[in-house]
Amino acid sequence: MCLKYSRTYQDAQDTLQDSFIMIFKDIKKFKHKGSFEGWAKRVTVNVALQKFRKKTSVTFDSIEESKIPEKEVFVDVEEKNITLNLLLSLIRGLPPKYQLVFNLYVLDEYSHQEISEILNISVGTSKSNLSRARKLLKGQIENLKSLE
Amino acid sequence: MKKNIDKLFREKMSKSKITAPTESWPIIEAKLKRKKNIRFGYMFSLLGAISLVSFMLFSTHTENTLSKPLQKNTSLKKDVKSKDNEVNEININHDNLPLSEPQEDSKKLYATIATKKDSKNNASKFLYNNTTSEKTPFFEEKVKDTIIEKQVRKIDSLVNNLDSLVDLVKKDFKIKRKKLLKKKDSSEVENFKKNKSRRWNIIPVFGISNTGRLSKNISTLGTLRAVTYPNEYFDDNKSSGLISYTYGFNVVFRATNRLSIQTGVFSKELRFLTENLFLSEFIPDVNPTNIIYNPGVEVRFSNTPEIGGSESANLNQTIVYMEMPFELKYRVFGSSKFNTNLVGGFSFLYLNKNEIRAKTNTSSRSIGRASNLLTTSSSLNIGLDIEYHLSKRLVFNSAVMFKKHYNTYKDYNNEYSPYNVGMHVGIGYKF
Repeated sequence: MCLKYSRTYQDAQDTLQDSFIMIFKDIKKFKHKGSFEGWAKRVTVNVALQKFRKKTSVTFDSIEESKIPEKEVFVDVEEKNITLNLLLSLIRGLPPKYQLVFNLYVLDEYSHQEISEILNISVGTSKSNLSRARKLLKGQIENLKSLE
Repeated sequence: MKKNIDKLFREKMSKSKITAPTESWPIIEAKLKRKKNIRFGYMFSLLGAISLVSFMLFSTHTENTLSKPLQKNTSLKKDVKSKDNEVNEININHDNLPLSEPQEDSKKLYATIATKKDSKNNASKFLYNNTTSEKTPFFEEKVKDTIIEKQVRKIDSLVNNLDSLVDLVKKDFKIKRKKLLKKKDSSEVENFKKNKSRRWNIIPVFGISNTGRLSKNISTLGTLRAVTYPNEYFDDNKSSGLISYTYGFNVVFRATNRLSIQTGVFSKELRFLTENLFLSEFIPDVNPTNIIYNPGVEVRFSNTPEIGGSESANLNQTIVYMEMPFELKYRVFGSSKFNTNLVGGFSFLYLNKNEIRAKTNTSSRSIGRASNLLTTSSSLNIGLDIEYHLSKRLVFNSAVMFKKHYNTYKDYNNEYSPYNVGMHVGIGYKF
C-alpha cells in the first residue's frame, strides 16, 4: 500500500512506520464501528497522502462533473510481462495529481465522493484526473509493448 | 489480450500484496474491545506485539498447522479403506492398529481416538461395527476436531505470549518515558542556568478590573451609629462596583526554573456607585451617613426627599490605594517561548485617595469623603499568569487576578470588604 504512494522503497518503509505510530497513537479513536483492518488501512492511506503532499506539490484544476465521461479503458497486453515493479514505476511516472486519484480509486477502492473529500477537490476533478491517469497508463503500456 | 486497465493493476497489485492472516484481525479487535479503557502506552505496545504475532501466525500457522493435518486426514482415509476387514476385528489396544511406516501422525491420531474409546466404550463399538462409508465422516470429524483443538491451543499460547510481550514493551515504554522526562527537566535546568544573567524582569502593567462585594450589596456609607435610624441609612439603596483601572510596575525575580517572586508598586482604584439617593439643600441636625462633607458644601445625601426640595442623585465613591504586592509565581507548564504560571500572594494597601462625588442629571461634583475607611489594609491575591517571550529581552505578560480585600472599613467586618477581578497586561524587560 505504501509503495505506490512513495518514490523509493525507503520512503515506503518510513510511511509504513509512521502509519503504525499513528495507529498506536490514535487507537482510542477506533470506535469499533467498522473493521479494525479497514480503519488501520485508512490511517495508513492518510499518512501516505500527507507524506506525499509534503514531498510533492499537487495542484488540481477544477472541472465540472457533467463534462467527464466515465469510461473504462482497455489495454492489449501480455500479462506475464507485467511485473509489480513495472506497475509501480508506471504509477510513479504519472503526474502527482493523477497518481493520487488513480491510487485512491483503483487500488485503494475509494469512491469519487470520498476522494473529493480527502483531496479537497470536486467529484468532477477526481473523475477527470482518473480518466487522464488511465489514458496515460494505457499509452505507457502500449509504448512498452512496441519497444519489445 | 485486451484487459481492463483497472483490473490489470488491481490484480497484479493484490497478487504481490502480503496480507496478515485473516484470524489476526478478530484477535486484535477482541483485544481492543476487552481493553478499551487502557492507556495509550499500553495500546502502543499491544499493537506492536500483535503485529509480531500476526507475523508468527502467518509464517508457522499456514505452512505447518494447516498442511500437516490435511495429509493426516488423507492417509487416514486410505488406511481405513484398505484395512477395512482388519479394522472390524481390532482390539481396543492401539498397538494392534494397522499402520504403515510413513504414517506416524496417523498413529498418534489413532492413539487419541483409542484413548477416547476407553472412556466411551459404547461409542467405540458403534464405530468399529459400522460400515466404511459411515466410519469416514466420523474420522474426518475427529481429525477436524483435533486440528481445531491444536489451532486453538496454539492461538491460546500465542495470546499468552502476547500478554507477556505486552508487559515487556510496557515496561520498556515506561523506562523510556522516564528517561525522556528526565532529559526534558535537565534541559530546562540547563536553559535556566544559561539565562542566569537575565533573572530579573521589570514589567510596566496596566489593568482593568471590576469590583464587588461577596456579602449583601449595600452601600457602606450608611452609618450604623445613627440613633434616629434603626437600620443602616442606605439599606434600601443598592451599591454596585464599577470598572476601575490599575497601573504601575511589577518586578519579577526568577528564583528557580519554575518559581519566581514578584513585587511592585501600583495605583489601584476601586469605584462604587450607590443609586436612587437624593441631594437636599436642607441640612438635618444628624448626619446619618459615613460621609464627611467638604467645607462649603451645603447639600447632603438622603435616602428620601426632604421637605424644602430635593434632587435625584447617584453617589460615586472612588477609593485609590497604593498597592505593593508580594507574590509567588509557579510555572505549571510551558516552553522556551510560552509559560503559564499560577500566582498567589498578598498585597499591602495604603489609602491614597478617598472621594465621594454627587452625580445629578445636570452636574457631577466632589462633595466629600468616606469617614469609615482605614488608611492601611491588605488583600489576598490569586491568579493565572501567562508569559510570552517576544525576544531574549522582552516578554509579554498577561494575568487574570482575583483579589479579596481585608480590613477595609472601620465599622464593617471583612464580609463587606470588597473584592476585585481583573486582567493585567504589560511588556516586560529582562535584565
